[in-house]
Amino acid sequence: MLRRILLSRFVLVPGAIVAVAVVWSLYAALHAHGVVTGTVVGPDGAPIAGATVMLIELNFTTNQERARTTTGADGRFRFDNNRSHYIQVRAEKPDVGRSPQRQVRLYFAAQDVEVREPLRLEAADAPRS
Amino acid sequence: MDHAAAGPALRAPARPGARAGAKRRREAALAWLLLAPALAVFLLYRIIPLGWNAILSLQEWSPFKPAVWVGLDHYREMLTEDPTFWEALANTLWFTASAPVGIAIALGIALLVNTDVRGRDVYRTFVFISYPLMTVAVGIIWRWMLDERVGLFNYALRSVGLIEQPIPFLQSFELALPSVIVANIWQIVGFYMIILLTGLQTIPRNLYEAAAIDGASARQQFFRITLPLLRPSLFLCFVIGVMSSFTSFDLVYVMTNGGPGHSSELLVTYLYKAGFEMTRFDYAAALTVVQFALLVALTWIGNKASGGDAGAVERG
Amino acid sequence: MKRPPAWPIHAALCVVSFFMLLPFYWVLKTSLTGENIFAYPPSLLPVAPHPFFYVDVWYYIPFVRYFLNSVIVSAMVVAANVILNAMAAYALTRGFRGRKLVILLLLSCMMIPFQTTLIPAYLLTGKLGILNTYLGLALPMFSTIVCIFVFKASFDAVPRSLVDAARIDGLAEWRIIWKIMLPLSTSAVATNVILSFIWSWNNFLWPLVVTRDPLLQTLPLGLARFLSYHENTTGALYAFCILVLAPGILLFLLAQKEFIRGLTSGATKG
Repeated sequence: MLRRILLSRFVLVPGAIVAVAVVWSLYAALHAHGVVTGTVVGPDGAPIAGATVMLIELNFTTNQERARTTTGADGRFRFDNNRSHYIQVRAEKPDVGRSPQRQVRLYFAAQDVEVREPLRLEAADAPRS
Repeated sequence: MDHAAAGPALRAPARPGARAGAKRRREAALAWLLLAPALAVFLLYRIIPLGWNAILSLQEWSPFKPAVWVGLDHYREMLTEDPTFWEALANTLWFTASAPVGIAIALGIALLVNTDVRGRDVYRTFVFISYPLMTVAVGIIWRWMLDERVGLFNYALRSVGLIEQPIPFLQSFELALPSVIVANIWQIVGFYMIILLTGLQTIPRNLYEAAAIDGASARQQFFRITLPLLRPSLFLCFVIGVMSSFTSFDLVYVMTNGGPGHSSELLVTYLYKAGFEMTRFDYAAALTVVQFALLVALTWIGNKASGGDAGAVERG
Repeated sequence: MKRPPAWPIHAALCVVSFFMLLPFYWVLKTSLTGENIFAYPPSLLPVAPHPFFYVDVWYYIPFVRYFLNSVIVSAMVVAANVILNAMAAYALTRGFRGRKLVILLLLSCMMIPFQTTLIPAYLLTGKLGILNTYLGLALPMFSTIVCIFVFKASFDAVPRSLVDAARIDGLAEWRIIWKIMLPLSTSAVATNVILSFIWSWNNFLWPLVVTRDPLLQTLPLGLARFLSYHENTTGALYAFCILVLAPGILLFLLAQKEFIRGLTSGATKG
């Protein structure tokens, strides 16, 4: 009779849901260091060193800049302490231009993420797309 | 009846009368003991509140002052000085009057589902699934579907060309209550359908066959066989509909909160506001008494109209 | 006997199903795409769906807190219902003086809706000192009359000979309930569980009145509060709706038969 209870749909379905939840939580816990990386490129596509990148944390109603960093020689940047699940990144370099604000939505807070599309700087007086 | 028939036969029947009496008392005591917790809950939360409402409605009382007997003052105020009460009453009655519409729709659906089509269980699920849902969520969904700017209804009506300007359903004095009623019917039609289906399935098939042999048309069969035999189920649906119009707090609170003005205020939302927003518990108690009396009256009228025997009650 | 053709019936039922399911589809679509909040005209199929509104709901509101509160209260209600109702129904299957009176009393209590008892129930809960507690939230729902009758119908169907034999063997009453009645009434237990769970899970008015502490709020309260803070302006509201509806729908799909049986047996009063 115990076996019949265990195999009934009332146990299997919630059990499956709990199992999925546990696996997902483990995955999230292992990948939540708050690392955000990406590349900044110029209007021609070449990586830009020394550009300032800003990390903006989004609340329901407010945007708040959380951190700033500069790109290295290869045009890549890295933030280490992101705690939010909904951020925006923006890059700029004087004389070269600024990039549009890019939304990065994560599956869980502080997810390690690589911003795939590089942030493309455009000249300040170029027409916005 | 109540004793194990084998019991006394196995024991030496010394003074069987006293023994039987003691046993019966013990059984009765045990039964009351088992009933006690459930009865306590009902005593506390159903029966005592009825009396408390009545008493409180005749007093002037607030949580920090002692009670003062004022007799029928609250009722007088309600009936003569409170237009909101009359509006809430009228709205509640309109709501109740919409129950037959929902029941008729559900009857149509039940008749369709009852015809042994393939997949009838699936259809039944689709129609019934709205009923066990959280009414707050249902209210939010409908509130947004009826939205003036982005609602589905306005979009559909405008694309078909029926209207030019979007209709502010929930902000209009005339349409707020009907909108709530439509949402309520959407949610409850599944419940009506289930009850009517159960009722339909108790009607013996051979009645229809005999009528068909006698040459009765489908329409005659419906009116002469189906409807009369469904009367208990229809009455039950009506009672449920009346109860629903007296208890649809969640829907009104989320969709319109009684507004605009008080055009969608129901007695139940008004008594909540009187008690918990205006903190006039005594007045709210009076409103509750009136509401309950109305509920009982409507149910009694429905009972009489359906033939006098309240549903398929199995006595005992 | 001539049977009506099937396809018009299917067509009519499809139209009905369409209207009944349309709100669900629309809410699901909006929770995945976030359009229709500002965009007009809305599109019929989801455009660029993404699950990030659900992530928003998870982090921006204390969803877990509300969920746990609802679960705790509902668990208390379900457990109490099964125990109290089984005891009461068992007592009603025995004969004793006043049995008919009790049944009549219970039937008439069915006519008293919860909203009618609201004010005194609130005052009583205050007097008992359990306002703003889990117990205060759960206590009024500890027993439902419909469920008692569901159990009674099921217990009445148990053959008397079994019960009598057990009593001759000297079994105490509560063991009779536990070892004989309940195992033979699993569907009645399931009906009890589902009806009391759904009632407690969806209850909005009572938690609205009884809770003061925002941390004690249950799901329906959380949803209504969310609506009043954020109006219609975010897809997260609709994701919240879906998350709130999902357990109810899941439970219903798992236990449809028991749920329907409970409603209709309560309807025919035994």
